[in-house]
Order: sequence, then structure tokens, then C-alpha cells
Amino acid sequence: MTAVTEKPSLADYKTALRGRRLQFAALLFCALTVIAFWRLSRGDWPIPVSRVFALLSPFLSGPERMTPEAIVVRSVRLPRLLAAVGTGGVLSVAGVVLQGLLLNPLAEPYTLGIAAGAAFGGALGFMVHSLWVTPSAFAGALAALWAVQGMAWRSSRGHLVLTGIVVNAFLSAGVTFLKAIADDRLGAIVLWLMGSFAGASPTAALWVWGAAAVSALPPWFWGRELDAVSLGEDRGSLLGVDERRLRGGLLCLVSLGTAAAVGSFGIIGFVGLVVPHLLRPLIGPLHRPLLFFAFWTGGCLTALADGAAQSLGELPVGVVTSLIGGPFFCWILLRQDGGL
Amino acid sequence: MNNLSIRFSRLEAGYGIPVFSEGAVQPGKLTALIGPNGSGKTTLLRTFAGLLPYKGSLTFETTGEVREVSRIPRREMGLLVGMVPQQVQMAAPFTVYDAVALGRLPHRSRGDDRLVLEAAADADVEHLLFRRVTRLSTGEAQRVLLAAVLAQDPSLLLLDEPTSAQDPHQTAKVFSLLKRVAGSGKTVVAAVHDVNLAVVYADVFLALKKSLEGEMKDDVKGEMKDVKESGFPLASPVERLDGEVLERIYGVPFDPYVSPKGAKVWHTRVN
Repeated sequence: MTAVTEKPSLADYKTALRGRRLQFAALLFCALTVIAFWRLSRGDWPIPVSRVFALLSPFLSGPERMTPEAIVVRSVRLPRLLAAVGTGGVLSVAGVVLQGLLLNPLAEPYTLGIAAGAAFGGALGFMVHSLWVTPSAFAGALAALWAVQGMAWRSSRGHLVLTGIVVNAFLSAGVTFLKAIADDRLGAIVLWLMGSFAGASPTAALWVWGAAAVSALPPWFWGRELDAVSLGEDRGSLLGVDERRLRGGLLCLVSLGTAAAVGSFGIIGFVGLVVPHLLRPLIGPLHRPLLFFAFWTGGCLTALADGAAQSLGELPVGVVTSLIGGPFFCWILLRQDGGL
Repeated sequence: MNNLSIRFSRLEAGYGIPVFSEGAVQPGKLTALIGPNGSGKTTLLRTFAGLLPYKGSLTFETTGEVREVSRIPRREMGLLVGMVPQQVQMAAPFTVYDAVALGRLPHRSRGDDRLVLEAAADADVEHLLFRRVTRLSTGEAQRVLLAAVLAQDPSLLLLDEPTSAQDPHQTAKVFSLLKRVAGSGKTVVAAVHDVNLAVVYADVFLALKKSLEGEMKDDVKGEMKDVKESGFPLASPVERLDGEVLERIYGVPFDPYVSPKGAKVWHTRVN
């Protein structure tokens, strides 16, 4: 025990905390700006940053919008950037919410089978028509969540994750089965499952941001309730939170977000697991700041990974996030003795 | 809000067992919940907190208004009841300040820092305010939860062995505090193993009989009759808690020990 001679006051503590959050937000904003201009100006056809600025102006004249340069920046690179940031944000927020609600540091859309459900649903949709991918991915995610919840309903929280792993394995086998009988669509399914933002359409980007709003704002609104629930041992209930309803509602929204991301851009692993663990030691476990920073950090990291994937010759971005995220996560675990 | 009294009859807590035939808890008093291991102290507290489903009747009565606990919305329960559970480990690394401030959650108000700091000072965790709750000793974590309940300021405070991890000095401080809180008009129920805490600090005691679970299979009716006749749960002013009553509760003989100043405490018989 160290002898504490002077006691920091609550006001000092709050000021320091606010300062640290502002610094971090500023840093994140700078990083996002740099990444944005890197992603918008670099590529097979380098366009100078000053030109990118001009091209992004909403007052661009009609004919100028039709130049190849403008089309590349506005309709190819911008949607791709937005899709990457939105998807990273959605997956990170999903990780924060799941880890908080389920009191399990390993919870994320993948451990709970939500992503596998979305993948299975999406692959099934692919067999019909590519338009069906996103809706059936959502249906798959919800069905997986419903199955996991239903089976684990009467048991402890530990069972929820265990059941998630079983459902995950089952659905992954289902995806493999679909691939095996896919014939001519096999290539499309495999490419989609590997995950990529290449060729992200403006509609897909918009869709992901809509899903981001729906799946990130409610958890932020119920941030204090999430805090109470995340302490475990019925702390939430004792503080007047209807844990069952909160859990049901937020799990649904989070699977919607995951389904939108997976349905549009395939499986992008480890973002939802790494980002919350990366942030907790830096800004603490309070959910409101955590959700905010997780969204933007996840966005930045995913956009970076997408850039790396592209410059390595259009690798699937899911491969990049897993190759970097896996070892990185091990490092976090070892450094923090247990991750919390 | 103060003056909440609890009344229950034929209460089957949890998933059927045990049965608490009849009883009441009065406001403004520190009630010690005693009884042997497995007699259902924790179950009864958790049922009072509305955390367990139950059969029978359990009501909260405040200024003439009687309400069945199962009908009270969860959100309102947060204003009525606070509890320090036996399990004090917290799953997320909040600072002590954040954990205590969460006690204010049911009130949906802002700028409660004065109340939070007062609660932290009362529970003697003020010096830990910016430490992580996951890095505290069990005793410290227990007092952080106590501080959170004080900040929550409910009408009914339930404490499941609140001093199980406290040293003698802290134990005395915690129980003096609970007595003061009860004196201010709150309803305070603390489950304790140390009968002398009840003797010294409590106003009334509520004693539970040994679990029926074991005997249930052999002779359900006989045992039930026995419980009814034996008068458990037994509620009385704490002055009535003597060797004879203690032996009825715990099934071993107790002897009195008298302090130099004349206070009487009880210990199981030493040969």
C-alpha cells in the first residue's frame, strides 16, 4: 500500500477526466481527417488533396460532377470510406454493448453467433438473388440471437456465450454446406464472406450509417443503465433497471447493426472484440464515453485496414483485421492479466 | 420517502422452498435477520428486493398505501429498495466514485455529487474515491456497495451480511451507521451470522428456522406443522434474544458473557 498524503478533489478528478477525453477526441478527429484524405486522394489514380476538397464541395456545378475525377472521388472513394467507417463503428459499438450486457469480456457479434447467423442468412439470400442478401442476413442474425437466447433463457449468463459458440459452429457448418451446393454462385458467396469494401455503393454506405444510428444511439441513451447492468450480480435490477427488457431490446438493435454490416460487406472479424478492450484502459468503462469513442475508433481502424487491404492488391479486409487483430488481442490480454 | 413496512404471509420464496409462514418488518428500526446456514436469509432478502418470483403475499406499506411487491414496476423498486448483496465483486473496473454515483441512477437527477460524497464518507470509502473497484479488497468493495446504497437513499435497505469482510473496527462503524440510518425513519434489514451484532446493535430480530429442504422428502406435512407450531419466523425485540431462544434457533447451547460494564453477549457453550 502506498501512503496517500494528499487527496485529489472530485473537481480536480473531473477536470482531468474531461481534459483527457477532449484530448482523445481531438486526436481521433485528426486521425479521421488524415485517414479520410489519404483514402480519398490515394489509389490507382492519385488525386491531389486540394482537388479532392474542391470536388467534395456540395456546390459543384452539374457538368463538373460528371468528370471522371469527380465520379471517382464522389461515387467510388467516398462511399467506400463511409462504408468502412460506419461498419467499424457499428461492430465496435456492438462489441461494447454485448460485453456490457453479458458481463463477458469475450462477447462480440461473433462469439454470440449473431454474425454467423447473418452470414448464413446472407449466403441463403445469395442463392436466391443478391438483393436478398441484406434482409435475409438480418433475419439470420435475429434467428441466431433468438435461438441463443431461447436456449440460454433459464440458465446463467455463461450459458449464453456457450450456446452462442454452439450456434456459431452449427451455422458455420451451414454456410460451408451452402458453399458446397452453390455451384456457379460459389465465387460470389466466397468473395462476399471474405469481406470487402471494394465497390461499396452509396446506397450500401447510407444503409450502414442508418444501421449505425439505430444500433448506436439507443445504447448511448441507456448508457447509465448499461453501466449498472455491467457491474453484474443484479446491480441493474436493484437500481431499478428492467434488465430483461434492456437486454432484449439492445441485443435486437445490435444484431440489426451487425446484419447490416455483414450483409453489405461480409465478415469483418475482431473489430468488435479489439476496440472495446483497447479503449477501456484509456477512457474507463463508463458506457457513454466508451460508446462514443468505440464508434469513431472502430471507424478509423476499419478505414485504415481497408486502406491496407487495398494497397496490398485488394485483399479481403476481413483477412487484414483478423491478421492484425488476433495477435493484437492476445497482447492486450497478456498485458492486462485477464482483459478487464 | 420513509416509513415503509413489510408484511408477508405464506410466502414461498424463490422456486418453492423455503416457506416463510408469517412476518412483518417495521420502519425506523434495525432488524437483524438471523438463522442457521441454509435457513433462507439470503432468499428472503432477495425476495424483499423483488429479485425472485414468489407465491403467497408480500406487501410494502407506506402511509396507508398497501402494494403487492410483484406488482411494483422495477423502476420504482429502484427508489424503494436498496441492497448490499453477499457477493461484492464487481465485474467492470469502474472507479469507486462512479460505482457510488450509480446509486443515484433511480433518481434520474443531476448534480448529486454532494450526496455521493456524503455516502462515501459515511461508508468510509472517501479515501478510495478514484481507485478501480476491481482493485479493492473484499472489505473495501463491500463498503463501496454500502456507500452506493446510501447514495441511492431508498426507503428500505437490505444488507446481506454487510460486515462479513470487515475488521472489528469497521464492523462497529458499519452497524452504528445502520442504526443511525434506521433511526432516521428508514427500514433496515441486515442478515447476520454474529448473533452479538444483533444483540448489541439491532432493535428487533427476525429468526428463521433451519432449512426444510433436507427433510422435505421424508415428511413434508409433519415438518410443515412443526415449523408452524414452533413459531418461526420468530420476530421479537432484541432484548428477548437470550440463551433459550438462541438454542431454539441454532440447536446448540449458548452461555452469556458479561462485559466489565455490564453488557451481555452470547457465545456457544465452551467446555
